[in-house]
Amino acid sequence: MADLTVENLKMHFSGVVALDGVSLEVKEGEIFSLVGPNGSGKTTLFNCISGFVTPLRGTIQYGDKDILCIPPHRIIDVGISRTFQNLQNIPYMTVLDNVLLGNHSGIGNRETVRRWISQRQRKIEETTALEVLDFLGLANYEQRYLSGQPYGIQKLVEIARALVSRPKLILIDEPAAGMNDQETMEIAKIIREIRDDLGVTVLVVEHDMSLVMAVSDRVCVLDSGTVVTIGEPAEVKAHPDVISAFLGEAAVA
Amino acid sequence: MKGRYADENLKWIAPLILLVILLPFLLRGATFSYRYYLYVLNIAGIYTILAVGLDVLSGYTGLVSLGHAGFLAIGAYTSAILVDQAGVPFGLSLIITPLITGLFGIVVGFPALRISGMYLGLTTMGFGFIVRRLIIALRTWTEGSAGLEVTKPLLFGFTFNSDWDNYFLVYTFVILVIVSIRRVMKSKVGRALMAIRDSEHAAQAAGVNLTRYKLFAFFLSAVLAGLAGVLFAHTMRFISTDHFDILLSIYFIIMVLVGGVGTVYGAVVGTLFIVLLDFLAIPIFKDWLGSFVAVEVADIQSLIFGLIMFLFIIFQPMGLYGMWLKMRIYWKLFPFNPKKRFT
Repeated sequence: MADLTVENLKMHFSGVVALDGVSLEVKEGEIFSLVGPNGSGKTTLFNCISGFVTPLRGTIQYGDKDILCIPPHRIIDVGISRTFQNLQNIPYMTVLDNVLLGNHSGIGNRETVRRWISQRQRKIEETTALEVLDFLGLANYEQRYLSGQPYGIQKLVEIARALVSRPKLILIDEPAAGMNDQETMEIAKIIREIRDDLGVTVLVVEHDMSLVMAVSDRVCVLDSGTVVTIGEPAEVKAHPDVISAFLGEAAVA
Repeated sequence: MKGRYADENLKWIAPLILLVILLPFLLRGATFSYRYYLYVLNIAGIYTILAVGLDVLSGYTGLVSLGHAGFLAIGAYTSAILVDQAGVPFGLSLIITPLITGLFGIVVGFPALRISGMYLGLTTMGFGFIVRRLIIALRTWTEGSAGLEVTKPLLFGFTFNSDWDNYFLVYTFVILVIVSIRRVMKSKVGRALMAIRDSEHAAQAAGVNLTRYKLFAFFLSAVLAGLAGVLFAHTMRFISTDHFDILLSIYFIIMVLVGGVGTVYGAVVGTLFIVLLDFLAIPIFKDWLGSFVAVEVADIQSLIFGLIMFLFIIFQPMGLYGMWLKMRIYWKLFPFNPKKRFT
């Protein structure tokens, strides 16, 4: 009973309408995709959910909690974590440290003080992070500095960082941007595993339609801040409004 | 599984600490003017504590401070006034004064929640000026710009009479500070601070309270500066506003830069390098240069430090410590060095 409910969300950026009455519902345990042309408000919706921007109107509920009034650094305690469209990694930290950063709120202050005095207990802190790295196939990278790693690895590290706090809902922003076909299929597999093996609800923004079609249970199409349609991948693909939004009016006829 | 910090080479730590303990004895055996060298090393030790603090703030958290001489001054004057005029024992002042300085750090930290980069540098620089004016204004306690005589450190009934005694006092704290700050930086706090430097969004999404951690960085940095101030006041035994001018703040930045930004050892190495250069190499250079043209020490000092900072930023942005790390990898791989990696 932890569904994400977005209702009538409105957001303007000094005259530019980013979201114009968006309502949608992400059910627990599903993979939900947001697609749409550039500037259709996908990332703004993400930022609203994770608390980085406050919408002008509308509500966002997670389970029975109103998460609009929660500051961004508390969102993770509700069980929602996210990745970013542009890499937001810490280059001069090792991969393991980057992942451990994601568990920031999971490590209590008292434990931190205890570890400050005795270094023996560090291992416990690391176990979850190592499990997640293993899960994403990054076990060999743990000691390497992130600055020299290829883009694909850095993307995965960001997903690992979002997973290590054991969230119930993960928001993934354009995981396949800049990836080739093979890597995209790899990402698709990982997204499915995140849902199937870890039981995490996934909300993903993506431009790559092959990825969206392959993984999603349901797809929501946004255009200029409004919801065009929500439905299963196959029916969304065939929807005339979607085709006109993406390919222009001529393609419908 | 490999140890977490396998690249760290812990076997060096014990010999290094032993060297620190034995150094005064070695110096006494080697030269008659060992007292002067100890005096220089004491200053280096005190500045090391401060430089590590500055590194926490500017290197790890990315909040530039050009006002650390101000924190040093607050620490020094607070302790001098507490011990000599309020009768607080030195041992207690060692604890109270850094905390008081830390509170000043939090106050200065508030603008940092809104501004960053050069603007924050200017704000903290302004703080440095304010502290100097304040010290002159509060003459009833500080005797204005005339300076203040401070008593010797007295701890558990033992008076630290000479630079020899002070050396052990100062370097106990240096080692304590290095070890404890390294541990802080390896814990979740250190990760949060580095995340704030590189990506505030990632930090927030990971659950880092930006306000709290930025203020904490200022607090910790000021606490260390305050500790350095206490030791400075009681081991130098005379403090005046001239000791804490803007140039000193800039030298602290140079120390951190030359050593290597964002590494505790870097701050230590950089401070030693700059202070030893300042006290031992520059006078010799001045004498040599003095046989051609008439120069003042202060001129050469600024010139050389400026030049060093310049060269390091261009050629070794990772600093001396980064250079050492690169060298170590170079020798490890020795006959198979991919040349391009080291240019």
